[in-house]
Amino acid sequence: MPMPFMPKPDMPPGALTLLILRVLQSGSLHGYAIAQRIHILSSEVLAVEEGSLYPALQKMLLKGWVTAEWGISETNRKVRFYRLTATGRKQLQAEISNYDRVTEAIQTVLRTA
Amino acid sequence: MSEIFRRLRYLLFRRRFDQELQNEMEFHREMAARHGGRNFGNSLRLREQSREAWGWTWIDRLIQDLHYAARILWRSPGFTLTAVIVLALGIGVNVAAFGLFNLLVLKPLPVRDPDSLVRLQRRSPEVNTSETPYGSFAFYRDHVKTLSAMMATMGSPSMELEQDTQPVRVIFVTANYFSELGSQAAAGRLLDASRDDSSSAPPVVVLSYRFWQQRFGGDSSIVGRVIHLNKKPATVIGVTAKNFAAPDEQHSDIWMPLMQQPYFVEGSAALTDVYHGGGVRMSGRLAPGVTAKIAEQELLALTHELDKLYPKLIWDKEYIKSDPAGHDLVMQPEMYQVAGMVGAVVLLILAVACANLGGLMMARGVTREHEIAIRVAIGAGRKRIFRQLFTESLLLALLGSLSGLALSYVILRVIFALTTPPEWMSVAPDWRVYLFVLNMALVAAVFFGLAPALQIARQRQRRTIIRQILVGAQIAASCMLLIVSGLLVHAVHHVLYNDPGFGYEQVLGISPGLENHGYTPEAARTYLDELKTRLSGIPGVKSVTLSKIPLLGQGMTSYMTTDIQGKQVNIYPDWIDDDFFKTMNIPLLRGRNFVPGETNAVIVSESLARKIWPGVDPIGKRMWPDDEKNRDVIVGVAGNARVKSMNDGDAVEAYWPAQTADLPAMTLLVKTVGAPDGLPPQVKSIVESLDPKLFPYIWLLKSGFRENALDLERLAMIASLLGTVAISLAGVGIVGLVAYTVSQRTKEIAIRVALGAKPLHVISVILRQFLYPVLTGLIVGAAVTALLSQFLRKILYGISHLDPIGYAGGIAVLVAIAVAAALLPARRALRVDPVRALHEE
Repeated sequence: MPMPFMPKPDMPPGALTLLILRVLQSGSLHGYAIAQRIHILSSEVLAVEEGSLYPALQKMLLKGWVTAEWGISETNRKVRFYRLTATGRKQLQAEISNYDRVTEAIQTVLRTA
Repeated sequence: MSEIFRRLRYLLFRRRFDQELQNEMEFHREMAARHGGRNFGNSLRLREQSREAWGWTWIDRLIQDLHYAARILWRSPGFTLTAVIVLALGIGVNVAAFGLFNLLVLKPLPVRDPDSLVRLQRRSPEVNTSETPYGSFAFYRDHVKTLSAMMATMGSPSMELEQDTQPVRVIFVTANYFSELGSQAAAGRLLDASRDDSSSAPPVVVLSYRFWQQRFGGDSSIVGRVIHLNKKPATVIGVTAKNFAAPDEQHSDIWMPLMQQPYFVEGSAALTDVYHGGGVRMSGRLAPGVTAKIAEQELLALTHELDKLYPKLIWDKEYIKSDPAGHDLVMQPEMYQVAGMVGAVVLLILAVACANLGGLMMARGVTREHEIAIRVAIGAGRKRIFRQLFTESLLLALLGSLSGLALSYVILRVIFALTTPPEWMSVAPDWRVYLFVLNMALVAAVFFGLAPALQIARQRQRRTIIRQILVGAQIAASCMLLIVSGLLVHAVHHVLYNDPGFGYEQVLGISPGLENHGYTPEAARTYLDELKTRLSGIPGVKSVTLSKIPLLGQGMTSYMTTDIQGKQVNIYPDWIDDDFFKTMNIPLLRGRNFVPGETNAVIVSESLARKIWPGVDPIGKRMWPDDEKNRDVIVGVAGNARVKSMNDGDAVEAYWPAQTADLPAMTLLVKTVGAPDGLPPQVKSIVESLDPKLFPYIWLLKSGFRENALDLERLAMIASLLGTVAISLAGVGIVGLVAYTVSQRTKEIAIRVALGAKPLHVISVILRQFLYPVLTGLIVGAAVTALLSQFLRKILYGISHLDPIGYAGGIAVLVAIAVAAALLPARRALRVDPVRALHEE
């Protein structure tokens, strides 16, 4: 449960794509599961809303980083599962290293300034 | 799978993808609800946002806008119909003009590989001709490497087929002509380089499809039959296909091998005399990978070689110019000017139509205030409203364009019916025309729809300034069109109903064609002397004279461009004998006539004298004082006679005494006491009895005059038709605007009338807002036309620079129409019943 009086932390731009790519690395998931996984893994700090999750997924489908295929959910319902493609994997590597570089740079500035 | 491909796949299966997304989001909510999460956001909006990633949402909006626009237009059929008619007129004339241009200039000929076909012509800084002596052609053909083939055609006077009274049009072509064009035969075979390219081969002819149908009823047994042309037997070997096409096609009935020209035209030295031989029109095929520039360079080098071989054959700085020839018309710079002029006129009509419709759109904006206010109130942005309004304009423009396309089809049909276009030409529009129509729709939509849509979207439609600008623009454009057509009509009237300066009613022309039959100057002198005597002996013949230029007859007239006293003039020259002025009824104003055997003398027209030596008597002066070689002295001044250039009001003439060398090329003019109509058979038998191998061409000058006049009348008719279209468009526009203004101000008028205002005063109040735009439009239109008239004069001969009648006429007609168009609806305002008007709201 998100803490009621804590302001919701903003995700830096582009981070959502990176997180989606990362959680899909270990296997295919449906949309809700992606949101849940990010929520839980971030110790319930990050909440992914429908309004940003699905546009991001559509964009990734368009770019060809993920593909969608039919599967059965834990509630026995037919639903789309997203799976990382080869280009998606490459994209993930690129985004991770890019992210590392940027955070490191920001950290350096914060430490030394 | 590339991104574009995925995007397209999405577009194709849009419904399924959307369904899946919806399904997925429902599932998401179910799960969230199960885990105690909140439900937030409008799912429809979320889905829309997600879809945006694929970049196709504009299509949905467009379809939505189009639906809405169609509904709106359907609901006001009166407005829609008016708008479509106005647009159809404006766009239709443009599409028709473009359609013609497309057929003549853009559409490739249905020949083999039209892109590599070139037309080759002799050029020098001073001279510009379509014909090259056959000897030079043969030299180029035998030596050129950058052209894979060279073809030539040689025009010929019409010939007599069997005993027919109607002469047939014939043309001599090189034997490779048909095979290079890739033409097919409808019957028999066409010319063949291996069989027909020799003067010793059996004489053969090829018939045109149309001639075969008309003269021989399409009888295929004609192949192999012997026919007689100018009494010479020849075998018909075949018929060209119905859709035969050739660059610069010269509409012939019969084609013959060029090498057999001496057989058909007895005594002709056309192929053997390098200097005075017959001229051919050359064309060629660029060798693979060769550009026209490279070919021109090689031909220039060959021209230099020719110059060494035959001194004085080649002009100073002569070169061969190559033009792309894979179209019906090979454009000349002057033709582009004419095309530009026509383009400008039809675009002006479109401008009038658009300004007109723009005014109507603005007016409609006011009546739609309510609707638009509601849409703004429920959250539509300015951008969205603008887009919607502009979509409406686009839809209207498309409807108008389609109707314009239909109209242009009818116009072209009429043109085709009035002329005889080549069989391969079709009225059916091709992709270029469709593309043009689409572009026109866009341009029109921008012109008539953009400004009103912007104004209405900002809810500023009540402002009058835009409407006033539109009225002004309309008036200015119509004013230009009307003045131009007024000038043209006036110029044509001037040509037709003023004294042309010479007598033509009682004159007969004879071209014996001595030159074609290899006459030497001496033989020609003997022949012409004898012929003159015989003709003078015919009862009713007043006088007989010689003229080198066939006046008002077949063949081209040309002018020479020359510098006299530093002034450049285009002179129409002729070479004549001393009976010319008497026969043609041209007065000698000053000086004297030529005397027999005279050289170095020239008689100039009064217009030339006034142009070069204003206020000075030119008699006794040298024509070119700085030229050592030319010692021509002016001996007389003759009246202006636009014999050779009826439609050129600026034409100046000069006459030289015919010299011995000119004699084989001379034509004769015979003046009779009464009408010369019955004379030709008698004249023909006299010409032929003196030398049976001659086949003279005989014409009545008055028929030539009528033909020229008819061309001019057609031109004036088209101009006045376009002017009428413009003025009716402007009239409709003004009626609409004033009627609209009146309807908007009914209440105000009712109050004024109720309070006892005078009708005239009320009308003037309503119309005042249109006074300045109309005046400004008139002034701007007249001023622009005056500025353009210098340019117009070069294209439309005979338009005088500031012809007051043309201007005054155009402006007066426009003012009259504008006043009538304004008063008609304004009068209705006065009949308004004040009580009812005031109770209306």
